[in-house]
Amino acid sequence: MRRPGILILLLVSGVPTVAGLVAALWFGLDAAAFLRVLNTPGVGLSIASSVWTGVSATLLSLMLAHVVLAVANTGNWRRRLTALSLPFLAMPHLATGIGVALVLAPSGLLLRLLSPWATGFTEPPDWFSVHDPYGLSLIAGLMLKETAFLVLVLSAAQSQAPTGRLLLQARSLGYGRLKSWLVAVAPLLQQQIGLPLAAVLVFGITNVEMAIPLGPGLPPTFSVLLWSWFVDADPQVHAQAWAGSLLLLLVTALTVLAASRLASGVGSLWRRWAESGSRLRRERSLRGAACTIMGGMWILGILALVAILLRAAAGPWRFPQVLPSSTGADSFAAWSAALPGGSNVAGTTVVLALATAVAGALLVLPAAEALRGDANGRRKLGTCLFLPLLLPQITFLFGVQVLLVSAGIDGTFAAVLWSHLIFALPYVWGVIGPARAAIDPRYAAVGRTLGAGPVRVWMTVTAPLTLRSMLLAMALAFSVSVALYLPTLFAGAGRVATAATEAAASAGSGTLRLAAMHSVWLAVFPLLAFAAAYAASAAVFRHRRGVPR
Amino acid sequence: MKRFAPFFALLILGGAHATSPALAAADEQLHAWPEVQRLGSGQTVYFNAWGGDPAINRYIDWAAAKLLEDFGLRLVHVKVTDIAESVSRIMAERAAGRDANGSVDLLWINGENYAALKRAGLLWGPWTAALPNARLIDWQGNPTTRIDATLPTEGYELPWGTSAFTLFHDRSHVQSPPAVPAALLQWMEAHPGRFTYPQPPSFLGTAFLKQMLLLLAADSGRLQRPAADDFDQVTAVLWEWLDRAHAVMWRRGRLFPRSGPAQRELLGLGEIHWMMSYNPAEASRAIRQGDLPDTIAGLHFNGGALGNSHFVAIPYNAGAKEGAMLVANFLISPEAQAGKADEERWGDPTVLEVDALSEADRARFESLQRGAATPGPPAEILPEPHPSWSTALERAWLERYLR
Repeated sequence: MRRPGILILLLVSGVPTVAGLVAALWFGLDAAAFLRVLNTPGVGLSIASSVWTGVSATLLSLMLAHVVLAVANTGNWRRRLTALSLPFLAMPHLATGIGVALVLAPSGLLLRLLSPWATGFTEPPDWFSVHDPYGLSLIAGLMLKETAFLVLVLSAAQSQAPTGRLLLQARSLGYGRLKSWLVAVAPLLQQQIGLPLAAVLVFGITNVEMAIPLGPGLPPTFSVLLWSWFVDADPQVHAQAWAGSLLLLLVTALTVLAASRLASGVGSLWRRWAESGSRLRRERSLRGAACTIMGGMWILGILALVAILLRAAAGPWRFPQVLPSSTGADSFAAWSAALPGGSNVAGTTVVLALATAVAGALLVLPAAEALRGDANGRRKLGTCLFLPLLLPQITFLFGVQVLLVSAGIDGTFAAVLWSHLIFALPYVWGVIGPARAAIDPRYAAVGRTLGAGPVRVWMTVTAPLTLRSMLLAMALAFSVSVALYLPTLFAGAGRVATAATEAAASAGSGTLRLAAMHSVWLAVFPLLAFAAAYAASAAVFRHRRGVPR
Repeated sequence: MKRFAPFFALLILGGAHATSPALAAADEQLHAWPEVQRLGSGQTVYFNAWGGDPAINRYIDWAAAKLLEDFGLRLVHVKVTDIAESVSRIMAERAAGRDANGSVDLLWINGENYAALKRAGLLWGPWTAALPNARLIDWQGNPTTRIDATLPTEGYELPWGTSAFTLFHDRSHVQSPPAVPAALLQWMEAHPGRFTYPQPPSFLGTAFLKQMLLLLAADSGRLQRPAADDFDQVTAVLWEWLDRAHAVMWRRGRLFPRSGPAQRELLGLGEIHWMMSYNPAEASRAIRQGDLPDTIAGLHFNGGALGNSHFVAIPYNAGAKEGAMLVANFLISPEAQAGKADEERWGDPTVLEVDALSEADRARFESLQRGAATPGPPAEILPEPHPSWSTALERAWLERYLR
């Protein structure tokens, strides 16, 4: 009973990952193709811009998350901050990227709000405010998502450390709020968040979801370049894409390695800083700056959502009108007309996400049951499930695609579901595993002494106690599935159309209106899933008090 | 009688295929039409076609509904960003040994992608002569239905529509529209940041390069033969023009819209004052749909418009070949072609010889209205250069401007 559950979970997650990686190595090791990659015009710049945007976005998000938590470290504020971060977490990268592009573009919502009364523009200026060659808009877009994620990860880690005591001690020695946090708490938390932080860095370097709507155009980031090669007709270019995806893996691995070496270097500097006893000057203005950036990002995020809705509804939308000239029923008619099969796409997205949520929970429950008393085992399993998130998606997914094609099951619903599970399981496990372990075993023991069998005990005692975290985990899996683009594209053989594939295809061809229409689903579905999870657990437990989350 | 000659030639080719023992043994044979109808009804046909334009998607949905009604056939539009995706998919299936029941049954294709599949032997055929509606096509009057970017189609792909490269401008910003390259450059220098073109190697971006090269090259006839060592010499005029243009273009030529529709969107938002299309009716349709303001007007270059046909083809490993043929035959029926030519729906010029149709079918075409932004026919249709020029131009463009 104990082993099979864990084994199945590991197989579901590990087999495609390892096999995909092996296939990628097998097909990618081609010297001639490597040479062609290196001879591609602009390839050096392209790799450099991937690394630059990924590293800066990760570093800035991390700094921002720490400063914000340092400032907002009272219970109330932390709750508020988590609540404020949730919508950004729920909104997929793709939708966020498209929304940010719709806000920041010269003809975007921001300049429309300011024109012509403040700027004097009656025509959009010829500015590089998105797709800029330095990747600044891409960094901003990534920060919007990753800061929210890191705030959540750090708050979770915080509950594992004696934060309150450490802060109190540092404050009583006369350090400011920021320095207290940075020297007393931050190093402890950093040790715990190594894996999620690495995942953020890897995603930053290798993503296409944000690089397509926001990244530089000439040349694009390396992963976008690879993505365009993989869809090329020429088999030579195809081989080049295989080789390139290995190069991406290498570059990413080297960057992560360098980052972790650098981190230990920074660690000793940090210690010296802590031991120096110096007080942080200008702490107030630093905190102010961080809060301003955070506030600005929050406004950008809200505007992004508004811009998606406006652009999806807008027909003709000449600059500098703030609102599209057609409104209401008109634009809704235009919208549904512009989306033939739109309801199919929405339907597929929801069914796939629901299946991912249910299958994810069913796969994780037996393992959670088996490992409820084994903290070490839980940690190891969590790490194993997390590994796929540390790989560039583009590298191992193409390997997965070849395997699916040769097995003749590409393009099937099951194949896509499987690929989604790879990415959903770490989150489902991350919620259900600890929650199951946190249930006091004496509840079950009481049940057993009253004569109930193990199944009945599980049904009447354990299941209700885990229900709330199960619902949350399923909402998470649901929103992960809605957001997944590359897995759906490769496992789905282009036949499984979800809001993510449609939005990415439209954003890729630069038709942002269509992209915005699909992004509405992308943005709304995860929010609905979380709302449904909360509503359901509130309804189930409306007569209960003190049921653990 | 003479204009049917190519049709007969195709018929003979098709017949030869069906009876040749070697070929028949190797693969499927071409069935007689009633047999095709019987086998094709009820099949599911995966039609891989560019899905970037809502109006075109709607048109394909309409065709799917008709086919479901008439034949119980399920037409699934697999929307791709670039048909090259499907081409590489077919090649991947070949590499993986999936020689039957492939994932693509019918694909919308022309030019380089056709050349690539044909060269690799990954197209099924010849099959087009077996379609009853094939005799309605204007094989003689419109040579681009037979010759796809200098390559003969030989019955392996069926013409579905025709195009002519058209420039559109916003009349409220462009008073006297320039119709020769030199004048266009002058306009751009006087209005920096308001002209751009889709990024090569996107379909329309490459078309713009070919159109400009055809207009600028000293000997445009040279482009009908494969590109060779004289590429740099032939194209020097083009790069000179582009270098000057990029310096005064939208985002100073360091960023380009990713596709034709992306450029149309920029025009609609007011970022630029020009767009281009292979479809002369595109702006009229966009105006009707409210995607563009009604101040847009179209023109062809005085030196002639780059023109071609676009086609549908069946991959060698298609699982539903008969169904695909039924779909193709419907797509070139007068009803479907008139619907396609209707600017309210798609506005793509027909491949049929309208004058030779029955009176009722002719009336379908004659009742169509031409929108205000649709220019008259071009002075001349400039045939597509040999496909090797597209590849070489794309490569040279990337090498020059991607550094």
